[in-house]
Amino acid sequence: MNAILKWFKKMPRSQWKLILLVASILLFIGVWYAVSWWTELRDPVQGSLVPPPDEVASSFYWLLSNKDRATGIYLFQHMFTSLERVFLGFALAFALALPSGLLMGRSWVAEGLARPIVEIFRPIPPLAWAPAFLIIFKIFWGPVAVVFLGVFFPILFNVMLGARSVDRTLIDAARTLGARRSDVFTKVVLPYTVPYLMTGVTVGLGIGWMCIVAAEFVSAEGGGLGYFILANSDFGYYPEMYAGMVLIGILSVLTTGLAGLFEREVYKRMGMD
Amino acid sequence: MIISVKDLRKVFTKERREVVALDGFDLEVLESEFVCLLGPSGCGKTTVLRIIAGLESKTSGQVLVHGKEVASSRPRVGMVFQEFALFPWRSSKKNVEFGLEVRHVPRDGRSKVADKYLDLVGLSGFAEAHPHELSGGMKQRVAIARALANEPEVLLMDEPFGSLDAQTRNLMQRELLRIWAATRKTVLFVTHSVDEAVFLADRIVVMTARPGKERESIEVLLPRPRDRTSPEFIAVRSRVLSELDEEFEKARARELSHSPEVKNNA
Ligand SMILES: Nc1ncnc2c1ncn2[C@@H]1O[C@H](COP(=O)(O)OP(=O)(O)OP(=O)(O)O)[C@@H](O)[C@H]1O
Ligand SMILES: [Mg+2]
Repeated sequence: MNAILKWFKKMPRSQWKLILLVASILLFIGVWYAVSWWTELRDPVQGSLVPPPDEVASSFYWLLSNKDRATGIYLFQHMFTSLERVFLGFALAFALALPSGLLMGRSWVAEGLARPIVEIFRPIPPLAWAPAFLIIFKIFWGPVAVVFLGVFFPILFNVMLGARSVDRTLIDAARTLGARRSDVFTKVVLPYTVPYLMTGVTVGLGIGWMCIVAAEFVSAEGGGLGYFILANSDFGYYPEMYAGMVLIGILSVLTTGLAGLFEREVYKRMGMD
Repeated sequence: MIISVKDLRKVFTKERREVVALDGFDLEVLESEFVCLLGPSGCGKTTVLRIIAGLESKTSGQVLVHGKEVASSRPRVGMVFQEFALFPWRSSKKNVEFGLEVRHVPRDGRSKVADKYLDLVGLSGFAEAHPHELSGGMKQRVAIARALANEPEVLLMDEPFGSLDAQTRNLMQRELLRIWAATRKTVLFVTHSVDEAVFLADRIVVMTARPGKERESIEVLLPRPRDRTSPEFIAVRSRVLSELDEEFEKARARELSHSPEVKNNA
């Protein structure tokens, strides 16, 4: 007993963290099973409303090689539809928000002109636009437009904040070295803003995944994971529904992780790690 | 005459209040001369440098560098700031190359010039290091190399060693004299330290309290390297100090009589 205690005490922090991680996951799965059994006990006729983890896992496995019963196409087709929409919405938002944010942060004329428009759109949640965008942009581009709005504002505001807080003496130094306005913009303001941009990208990606699911709920038959989840729920195929949810979680974590890797790489290139 | 400033006046307007920073300020600096600008805080030393560098506009007067009015577009002066002002995302070498880059000097040429000036300031071993990996003194060496790489006629320095510890500061003063001797640049150097001014300068210009103008121009004829403990050094030092003390007193007296808080309390 004493020997085991001693061994525990000597363990480094990193190993403790690993043990805690495993414990946390086991706890989560345990609670999931418990909830699942409890709903089954409560209403044995209807069966469990929350399928246990193993059932969701096997349904997930089944969906990898079979067309799903509710929508008639493969799960990965839905996945690609959603990925495509998130990517397009994100890319468009990034391409527009970065230059707009830089301009609005550095020029009071640009800010004075654009700010009122931004303030009109900002208080309306992107999801409130989903039905309108569906009518305007139809079933594929409608959800893309919702993602666009969700990603656009976090990037715009973060870049604006960064561009505004550029160290004055850096700009002065650049000017005494012969930099023109355009040089100051590309060689001082832009690199200075990169960390702010990265914050906007990470926040924007998270919001993008929230937006895509909800927008696809509305866009029925346009495909995508949101649609997949809703359709399986309508038919009462709960294990499939949960499998779809798990997949979205995985994708969201993966894309955010990818952004994090990209961020670290950029910092390393810029010598700021 | 490489710098010629005549009857310079600068008025700042801030929230509808006017601050006369400089009024009737004259300054002449000869080629290869090392001039230190000394004066009470707020007398307009930084403003003088910024106007000569083209970073700030003047209200009236004449500012000539090599006989031409300074235009903010293409400065012919280099500037070194107290806060180093290095680009944190660029290596030492890339910092030094900045001025050449915006002047579209080809890559090979840039690299050669940067190496030359990094070598001059004694930092060839740190070409690839980023500012956050350098000590304060090393950062200021990079900043000096960066200013010199543009081959300016004049080097303006605004309390460049103000944030360094005493030991590094003394070392950097000797280093600056060595670099100055090697390049024969004209240097206009702002400092708060009388000791530093007497150690470095060919001539010390003492400014009056705000609005700043020239109060006294003192030639320092001591041979270099100067010995801070020699009686001659101390004599020059006391002379400058007494000039400066009077201005400090004037500035303080005026501050007290003009301070709104004092009036309100009375
Ligand atoms: N951008 C500005 N707007 C308004 N007032 C200014 C501005 N820059 C300087 N001043 C004022 O002009 C005066 C001179 O300022 P300056 O910075 O040139 O003094 P300084 O001699 O460099 O002072 P210090 O020794 O403290 O560095 C000060 O009263 C200052 O408040
Ligand atoms: Mg100053």
